[in-house]
Amino acid sequence: MIVEILETLFIVLTVLMMAYLIRHYVFTLTVINHAHKRKKIATMENTTIQPTISILIPARNEEKVIGRILQRMMELTYPKNKMQVIVIDDGSTDDTGKIIGEYAKTCGYIQAIHRKQKDGGQGKASALNTGLRHAKGEIVFCFDADYYPQPDILEKLVKEFIDPKVGAVQGRIAVLNEPQNLVTRLVALERIGGYRVDQQARDCLRLVTQFAGTVGGFRRSLLEFLGGWDESILAEDTDLTLRAYLAGYEIRYVNDAECYEEAVESWKAYRKQRYRWAKGHMQCAFKHSLKVIKSSNLRLREKVDGLLLLNVYFMPVWIVFSWIISVPLFFLKSSQWFSMLWTSIPISLYSFVGNFAPFFEVGIGAYLDGRTRAQWLTPLLILTFLYNIPICTKALADLFISKLFRKNDNHWAKTSHSGNGNSYIMN
Amino acid sequence: MEETSFDKNNALKVRHLGLGIFAGAIITYSILFFFHVSSESAAMLMIFDFLFISLIFPLKGKFVKKTVLLLVGNIVGVVWNNIFSLFARATIFYLGEVFNIWYLMLNPLLNLVWIVSFWSISLSFLAEPRNRKGSVKT
Repeated sequence: MIVEILETLFIVLTVLMMAYLIRHYVFTLTVINHAHKRKKIATMENTTIQPTISILIPARNEEKVIGRILQRMMELTYPKNKMQVIVIDDGSTDDTGKIIGEYAKTCGYIQAIHRKQKDGGQGKASALNTGLRHAKGEIVFCFDADYYPQPDILEKLVKEFIDPKVGAVQGRIAVLNEPQNLVTRLVALERIGGYRVDQQARDCLRLVTQFAGTVGGFRRSLLEFLGGWDESILAEDTDLTLRAYLAGYEIRYVNDAECYEEAVESWKAYRKQRYRWAKGHMQCAFKHSLKVIKSSNLRLREKVDGLLLLNVYFMPVWIVFSWIISVPLFFLKSSQWFSMLWTSIPISLYSFVGNFAPFFEVGIGAYLDGRTRAQWLTPLLILTFLYNIPICTKALADLFISKLFRKNDNHWAKTSHSGNGNSYIMN
Repeated sequence: MEETSFDKNNALKVRHLGLGIFAGAIITYSILFFFHVSSESAAMLMIFDFLFISLIFPLKGKFVKKTVLLLVGNIVGVVWNNIFSLFARATIFYLGEVFNIWYLMLNPLLNLVWIVSFWSISLSFLAEPRNRKGSVKT
């Protein structure tokens, strides 16, 4: 009886892992097939829409990086009379507020919003909602304070709004401080897999393209209709993505629209950031999974992809769980062949799906980007996988405990930025 | 003009993929025929060949280069597996059957070490270097 239960559990988990593996294989194939295709969209010359834009930049204790992005805002090539930049100083205790104030004084379209220290620090969603109340543009873009966009990024992104079905658009995130150390290099590889392949393929296949909460824009009308960002969810971006799709809108991804981020520089910072992502994703999975299944606005493939996207952070936990199950099965199953097969499948699969982007996907992404030496670090992505196991397990355990005791323990652990990315910008 | 170049690229991809399947079949058959390979190792070699042929052969680059990389990959796989199986046999002799269980359980994981490494090396050979070299141009 126990063996049968273990076997059934094992089969279910293996099927789940296979689903992710096949999904990523299809993504990789799709991107290879679309590598030479150009999107058939209007060029800027014959684009008739040039909507008014509001850019929200939430910032809390970002004195080392805020000047960089505000300077960049002044260098953007989008018509300045159609731009409004809203910088939300989220109760900073350092000089962030002062720097923002100086830029707002010298530049007419930069607007500073200072939140008091007692109101600040409630998370990015809260700061963004404050900014949204002041936004006047038809499209609302978001950028994090440590980001550094291409000068023509808005032109590239805004084109997608020609299609009325498009509710939001997402640009590509690349790592600015990639050469800094091993952590930043591995994060850069993860980003390559996640954006160059994952997001690109989802866009090509018209699946659930993810709004990443930064380097992207929403129609203001849609944002207001959805009620802004949900402040009770740690992954406010994934939550918004799902709500937009459930409302019948689509999100487009533009690979050419690049923006550089200052990636986490230490394993400790990586843990804090991924814990927040994992817990937030899990919150979204509990909130939206059933809605996705029942939705009449989503096609079957969008439902399948939406569910896989929502549940991705459970995978490191399930993989370990299946491996634990496979050990007794190995001994209890009479056939050696069966035992070997049972045991080998999860171990093999973890390497494929472990980093949320399997090695072949990261490799092809790096190839398409023309990266040669970066490829060599792909085997080391196993480190991030191993690190994600305790992170995701803790996130799941904490979520269960908070649900059990009905506590809303959603502390926003902010990623701090050193400003080291400045040295990688070449003028 | 752009359309013609796209068709040309597509035709090349399909031709390389077709020839790749043919070359892969010959290489796999030869390896399995001439070398002693355990069933698990053979399964891992086939996973490698499947991924390599379906994902790398359609990429830009000379067909000969890809075929040589596929052949070298298979040889590396066979050598890797033989070394580990000899190591396992020797250890089992001294430590007993318990080690055999560990070996069987960890074998696929160990195989992934060479597969992932060889995969990334192959792609770095094929990629045309461009983009960043440490700095972001503004």
